[in-house]
Amino acid sequence: MIRYVEGPEIRITGNDGIFVNAEFYHSGEKFEELEPRRLFPKSGGNKYIALLDSEGEQIAIIRDIDDLMPESRKVIEDALEEYYLIPRITRFIKMTDKFRVWMWTAETDHGTLTFEVRNHISTVKPLYDGRVLIKDANDNRYEIPDYRKLDKRSRKLIEPKL
Amino acid sequence: MPDILSNVMCPVSFKKSLDNLAADNRVLFAVVGDLDLSRRYGENMVCFGEDRLWVFNSAHTDEPLEMKYSDLSEAESKRMYGNAVFMVTDNSGKRHKLIRYTYAAAGPGDAAADFVNDVLEKGFSEELIYAVENNFKRLRAFCPKCGRKLPSPDSECLNCKGKGKMFSKFAAYAMPYKSGLIVCLLLSVFTTAASLAPPYITGYMVDKVLPEKNASLLYKTILLLLLIYILQYVVTAFRSYLLRRTGDKIVISLKKDIYEKAQYLPMSFYDKISTGHVINIINSDTGNIQNFVLKISQEAIVQFFTLIGILVIMIILNWKLTLFSLLPIPVVAMIGRSFGKSVGPRYLRILRRNAYISGLLTDTIPGIRIIKAFTTEKAAINKFARYCDDWMKEEKGIASISSIFPAVMTFLVTCGSLIIWLSGGSFIVSGREGFTVGLLVSFVSYASMFYNPVNFFANFSDTYRNTLASAENILEILDAEPEHNFGKDNVPKRLEGRIEFKNVNFSFDRSKKVLSNINLTIEPGDVVGIVGTTGSGKSTLINLIMRYYDDYDGEIFIDGQNLRDIDMEYYRQQIGYVQQEPMMFKDTIFNNIAYGAPSAHVEQVLRAADIANAHGFICRLPDGYDTLLGERGIGLSGGEKQRISIARAVMKNPSLLILDEATAAVDSETESLIQQAIERLINGRTTLMIAHRLSTLRKANKIVVVDKGEIIECGTPDELLAKKGKYYKLVEIQSMGEQLQKRKAEEDFE
Repeated sequence: MIRYVEGPEIRITGNDGIFVNAEFYHSGEKFEELEPRRLFPKSGGNKYIALLDSEGEQIAIIRDIDDLMPESRKVIEDALEEYYLIPRITRFIKMTDKFRVWMWTAETDHGTLTFEVRNHISTVKPLYDGRVLIKDANDNRYEIPDYRKLDKRSRKLIEPKL
Repeated sequence: MPDILSNVMCPVSFKKSLDNLAADNRVLFAVVGDLDLSRRYGENMVCFGEDRLWVFNSAHTDEPLEMKYSDLSEAESKRMYGNAVFMVTDNSGKRHKLIRYTYAAAGPGDAAADFVNDVLEKGFSEELIYAVENNFKRLRAFCPKCGRKLPSPDSECLNCKGKGKMFSKFAAYAMPYKSGLIVCLLLSVFTTAASLAPPYITGYMVDKVLPEKNASLLYKTILLLLLIYILQYVVTAFRSYLLRRTGDKIVISLKKDIYEKAQYLPMSFYDKISTGHVINIINSDTGNIQNFVLKISQEAIVQFFTLIGILVIMIILNWKLTLFSLLPIPVVAMIGRSFGKSVGPRYLRILRRNAYISGLLTDTIPGIRIIKAFTTEKAAINKFARYCDDWMKEEKGIASISSIFPAVMTFLVTCGSLIIWLSGGSFIVSGREGFTVGLLVSFVSYASMFYNPVNFFANFSDTYRNTLASAENILEILDAEPEHNFGKDNVPKRLEGRIEFKNVNFSFDRSKKVLSNINLTIEPGDVVGIVGTTGSGKSTLINLIMRYYDDYDGEIFIDGQNLRDIDMEYYRQQIGYVQQEPMMFKDTIFNNIAYGAPSAHVEQVLRAADIANAHGFICRLPDGYDTLLGERGIGLSGGEKQRISIARAVMKNPSLLILDEATAAVDSETESLIQQAIERLINGRTTLMIAHRLSTLRKANKIVVVDKGEIIECGTPDELLAKKGKYYKLVEIQSMGEQLQKRKAEEDFE
């Protein structure tokens, strides 16, 4: 049975950045070194965050971390921030197609980088809300929050690939 | 300084301090990370020695942070989402995050963590470096010319080999038919020349024949015109027939090539691309290429000569009038260019939407049973409608531009002829010398012919863009790395069937390790049961033995030889593979059994069917062995298909037998028939069986328990039962379930 917890039922304290400790108020149970994971990393935002123990077994699911107490919420958010690296692309600087290897240079919220993209139809996924998910040749992921809001030049570069 | 083994070049900022370090210490290898600890793109590095490691990061650029292995209890390359951290735990249990990297360096990070843990466990030995070297070597496989990543250090870069020139690649398909193309070209030069004559002749008629009222000359001229027309259109018809045949030949050879290439693409290619997309490429993208090849090899040349020819004639006739009629040309050219620019990117988008639609079709049409069972027809229809609407939206943009464009062009052409009437007409009205009505008539005809090629070249960019998009798709397949048969022609006399896994790690994509640190030895003749929960990695293990994937870390040896070095075709021929859901082809039962051995004797096939317990039911079918199976074997039950697939394996007389849950989907009566067939087949062969029902494993002399990608238990069934570990638990659960079922059945009976 999946155990769901609502925000006020649980207290989360920091452990090691990636790991957190949890305390359930009603049962008094305490767990250490849990890993919060998004059940819907692409679509879910702050909803449905699972807590896994060191064996990878699920302890509970927090329905919405926005309902947690502010300190607990901060800890979870930090841990998720540690775990998930999906740089948001804010600007495309250059796209080259040399020998059919696409190298894209982009500015992201984690700095500027150049990455290789293979076969845009399967690795560049536009969603209906304007978001674009990109997977590079190393399986790293990137996201454009809304391609329609990019500057003109970036849009000119990315739009043919959508 | 000796070159230190690393995944990428050592960052310049650490170079000097690394040199200093290497001067006093033996640095074995380095892992260079591409993120700093605060997760911005940056550089950091860990170097590994025999008894300690050194960390270079933004806090330690000049003087690295030194850590002795003796102070550590564990190292880990913790893979997260899109990034990983190299962490060590010290003896007090405190974790230290040393460096961070994206998946680009996750493989080396894993190898480094394994290295440290091995050193901690067994102490340092040179052997441990080799494992790391192997891992790094794969990453360092770059083409020296273009820097493209290669599947292995020895393989050839397909891009550089093909000069990377798309055009020459496709031209190669036209080359065998060049004589046909040249004949077509000559014929079209002839028809073009022939088409240039009539305007001149009509001009002559207006000026000379009609005013002089010369009837016989009139008949002669008209006869001449008639002859020219007949010749022109006969040749045109013949030429278009020839051209069409040649074009068909070109496109068929291209299609065959793509299909052939698609057969040899590795499984990893198909994991990432939808089969519908591949089908689409073979079916429709090739057509675009055909059109283009014909356009460029024929029409472009013809139109060019027409252009020149008309221009020369017009200038000879009257250069002033020529200048007037050329006035709209720059406008026409400019509009053509801007049209191409706005339409090009849209074609790429259209193409993606096409791929979506055909992907959806190949998904849902074969899955129609499921759709009906779950009554999701409406949802399927809506999804299809949405995809079609998306396509429509893109198409609408192109449609409007594509329709307005020719209209504008034609309008401009008409304006051109108006200019000629205006200027030429006023020449005649003002009675300018040497300017006749006939001249004006032929000029107007020439000018209208002149705009044809202009139009063609202006529209050319459109065709070109469209083709470019298709060409890119095709090259995606043609240029993809095929499965590499590194050990071609290395054919051992006999495959004994000894399999050895050494430190094998594998992941489909870098985000999740599917198999880790697999060490396993299977002796010839062993019957090995592979047990584990779903998703534990059992099938992946089999996939590696089938050599569906090449890019694992570590090594697999078959009879002491590296699996990668054995001729792939030969090797796969030695394997009998029976799947959980056997794949049947749309063919007769006979051909389905003789699938791997088309030249087999009838009685061999019957014998195989008999061994597989399939002969009995095939005999009872009205069409016997000639029974035609539908797509995916429609018309047979699951158990019947399974027995046919076992017969197929029997035909191969394999040295190595792989059974992937062969009895999972059948009732217990059929199971015993299949079980019997399998036991006959196993006899004397190395066999690997994946099974959920442990009862199927009663012939196994070795059990391997896989859990979360690792082998957690391995030994004879008795050993494992005595050990009371995971296997024992699984047996307990199942026998308990069976007992319960039995009791229930008895109760029902009473």
